[in-house]
Amino acid sequence: MRSAAAEDLIFHALADPSRRAIFESLVRGELAVKDLTARFDISQPAVSQHLATLRNAGLVSGRSEGRCIYYRVEPKGLKPLADWLSHYRAFWTDRLGRLDALLEKLEDP
Amino acid sequence: MKPIDKTAPSQTGALTFEFELPHAPHKVWRALTEPALLNEWLLPITGFKLELDTAFTFKTQAFPGWDGTVKCQVLEVEPLKKLSYAWVVGEMILNTVVTFTLTPTQTGTRLVLVQSGFKPDQKQNFGGARYGWNLMGGRLIELLGRTT
Repeated sequence: MRSAAAEDLIFHALADPSRRAIFESLVRGELAVKDLTARFDISQPAVSQHLATLRNAGLVSGRSEGRCIYYRVEPKGLKPLADWLSHYRAFWTDRLGRLDALLEKLEDP
Repeated sequence: MKPIDKTAPSQTGALTFEFELPHAPHKVWRALTEPALLNEWLLPITGFKLELDTAFTFKTQAFPGWDGTVKCQVLEVEPLKKLSYAWVVGEMILNTVVTFTLTPTQTGTRLVLVQSGFKPDQKQNFGGARYGWNLMGGRLIELLGRTT
């Protein structure tokens, strides 16, 4: 159902403040590497490396146009995180129902 | 008495449930803290003691890459009022905190359950990092909405 490796990659990719900042910029719209380099105080190779990590985690994708590569957020990339939230939403709804039933039959000492 | 999902739409890092129970807080507290009762309604539990820092485990369904052991540690105990423990899945997979808060009401107990920490690496969550993640708030929920 879930792949632990995919989550590892996402958590690792977003645990770094610079990568998270880059990801957040891309959430607002597509950007080229040079735009990101101008926006952050990070060298272009470093930006490219961060983008590679994000891409490897399935969080962003790139497309070439002329000599530039434009990057955008891959909405499906965050699905494992969304899956955990919906997993636990269902889990707690079920368990709280069982708690309610248990309390009903539990004798007061 | 259905549990009400009170998770705020903008709150991407936590789940919140509120539950009105027609039972006194001491009875609800027993269900939250006695291993025999926890086995019955939550999950099979091992090593639990109502003492700060106690490490214990819940056992649940395994999936590839994880054996189904939820690693927990008691973080906060306020008898009859509050119980909080770490809820960790795997090493890097999920690191959350589960908190139960009990408030006496005229008809029994209001139980609030919060599971927080659905976000990357709390250990690095100092200063700028936390700000960076919070900044995404609304945008992130939009994205999550699009993923289903």
